[in-house]
Amino acid sequence: MLRFSKHEITINEIIKNMNIPDRSEYLKGLAQTGQKIMGVLPALYPRELLWAFDIHAAEIWDPPGEILHANAHLQTTICPVVKKSLEFILKEPQTINAGYLFPHTCDSLQNLGTQVKDLIGVSLPIYTFYNPKGRFNNTTIKYYQDILINFQSILEASHGPLEPEKLKAACVLSHKIDTYLMVIQQARMTDHLSLSNHEYFTLMRAQEYLLPQDYLSLLEQVNILEKPAEFSRARLMVSGILPPLPEILVFLDELGVSIVADDLLAVSRRIPKFAMDPPGSPLDYLTDRFFVLPPCSTRGGDLDERVHYLSNRLKESKAHGLLFDMVKFCEPELFDHRLLVKTFRERKTPVLTLETELEDHISGQDKTRIEAFTERLFEIVST
Amino acid sequence: MADLYFSGVDVGSLSTDVSIIDHGGKVLSEIVIPTGVNGSEAAEQAFNAALKLADLTRDSITGITATGYGRASVAFATGKTTEISCHGVGAHHLFPKTGTVIDIGGQDSKVIQIDRQGRMLDFTMNDKCAAGTGRFLEVMANRLDLNLDELSSPLNIEGDSAPISSTCTVFAESEVISLLAKNTPRKEIVHGLQRSIVNRIWSMVTSIGIEGEVTLTGGVAHNKGLVALLEEKLGLTLNIPENPQTVGALGGAHIARRTYQNSLEADSI
Ligand code: SF4
Repeated sequence: MLRFSKHEITINEIIKNMNIPDRSEYLKGLAQTGQKIMGVLPALYPRELLWAFDIHAAEIWDPPGEILHANAHLQTTICPVVKKSLEFILKEPQTINAGYLFPHTCDSLQNLGTQVKDLIGVSLPIYTFYNPKGRFNNTTIKYYQDILINFQSILEASHGPLEPEKLKAACVLSHKIDTYLMVIQQARMTDHLSLSNHEYFTLMRAQEYLLPQDYLSLLEQVNILEKPAEFSRARLMVSGILPPLPEILVFLDELGVSIVADDLLAVSRRIPKFAMDPPGSPLDYLTDRFFVLPPCSTRGGDLDERVHYLSNRLKESKAHGLLFDMVKFCEPELFDHRLLVKTFRERKTPVLTLETELEDHISGQDKTRIEAFTERLFEIVST
Repeated sequence: MADLYFSGVDVGSLSTDVSIIDHGGKVLSEIVIPTGVNGSEAAEQAFNAALKLADLTRDSITGITATGYGRASVAFATGKTTEISCHGVGAHHLFPKTGTVIDIGGQDSKVIQIDRQGRMLDFTMNDKCAAGTGRFLEVMANRLDLNLDELSSPLNIEGDSAPISSTCTVFAESEVISLLAKNTPRKEIVHGLQRSIVNRIWSMVTSIGIEGEVTLTGGVAHNKGLVALLEEKLGLTLNIPENPQTVGALGGAHIARRTYQNSLEADSI
């Protein structure tokens, strides 16, 4: 039984109804039990280290609510992920009690970390984690291991010495979660999963706030079909930072379009590209895990590698088209976007770009764009 | 397939357009009326008028495709398709060598690439504002105290044009106000406005590229000055339909016809 269930609801029922607990209710409940909770901004951070210190990582990507006070501190050309995060932090939420962690995902987030720490003045501790940019080589490995050790010492200063066994156990737990996620991802690509678009991404995103043990229990119960489901739906791959807005996911379902694969920073770009051996030395495991993640605009690197990865995913999932769902003013993504669109257009892959400010609703024009794109995909399905 | 008729009903933000064709694709009637505040009423009215003009009854229409931003409000339609696909199909039937369609509608503008069968391959649409649309011209005509016909008069494309740097309707309107305050001749302001729309369309065209012949659709295709400037900018001659406003509706009618033919083929398998 899950820890979050007040009543004896089985996990099957939860998945069936996608009754995954509400993010803020769940975190509130956890905070009341005295659980240490750190607010973590996107996207890549050594979650295993936090778990080893009994700190729960509650990720902050797109908290709901209007952006009011954050605008006073940020330029207008800053992405809504950063604005919404700051708005959330400024409210000093009770659920976050162990500080905030700002990984170096992009310059905007890095600056936000500095601003929150030095200018805005938040009472909780602020941590930063400077991911290496670039490929797997001796320099980046050494740098990554250095910052892991440094981050460990910083955490030890506030939370006491690290117990090596706990870190080992955290790596094992992380490895198990990754393994399940890879199976589920594969099942999605090959039609062995009977979840709507909205249900699928609700399941994938629940890892942003559920305790790892709870999330693992959820994943263990996901029903993988023995035979692939047969359907004549159009198949779509989506690339960007976050999954499309719930309204778009539902709309795509209504139009008969399934998102069968993704290249999203919040989802697939955080799942290893291929199966890893079970953890031996935690330091080596954490390093390897970081470098076997799919190519990502936020980690720098080679655009050809990204094109290659996306092409393979499109092929494997038999997607008929590619949707770029761009967060407005997201610099790292915009750098790659133009060339990616050009490349896939030249390869005759139907491509659609949408731009989101993480609004609550989609515009009529975006609906028309999506519908027209779907008409194109169905032309392909029918030929 | 004798005596089978098909229709397309395009409920746009400014006008509602209906086209009725026979089974061979011959156009029997075309109607354009203002949409007003109620899209479904406008669709009813325009459809009835088109039936009357073609001397047909409602029962004689086998398939009706609703399109345009108000497509969901056409209760009597047998199917709905976006205006993007409809404009592609309509342009293809009028000018079979069309590879690119530029549609300047009342509320939005689109550049659509189509294949040899008129199927849409790719498209781009202007973003969430009235820049480069019919609405932009309407607002500016009001401000200049001209009607749309006056705004559409052929202008010497070599002539002077007032500098209007903004494509945003709100900012462009304030630029127009200051130009009027400086006694800039209205002809030059009109010229500047047309250039501003052409620049906006140009940036959409460059993002998607040009293939084959280019057909211009939408009411703005009546604006001769703008057409001349666009042709100059693109370096080619545009196909201009006789009724540029009804191309989406015509495409809708052809889609209804094709859907009916496909269903016959499916039944005979
Ligand atoms: S959306 Fe882009 S710019 Fe914004 S925080 Fe994420 S990576 Fe940075």
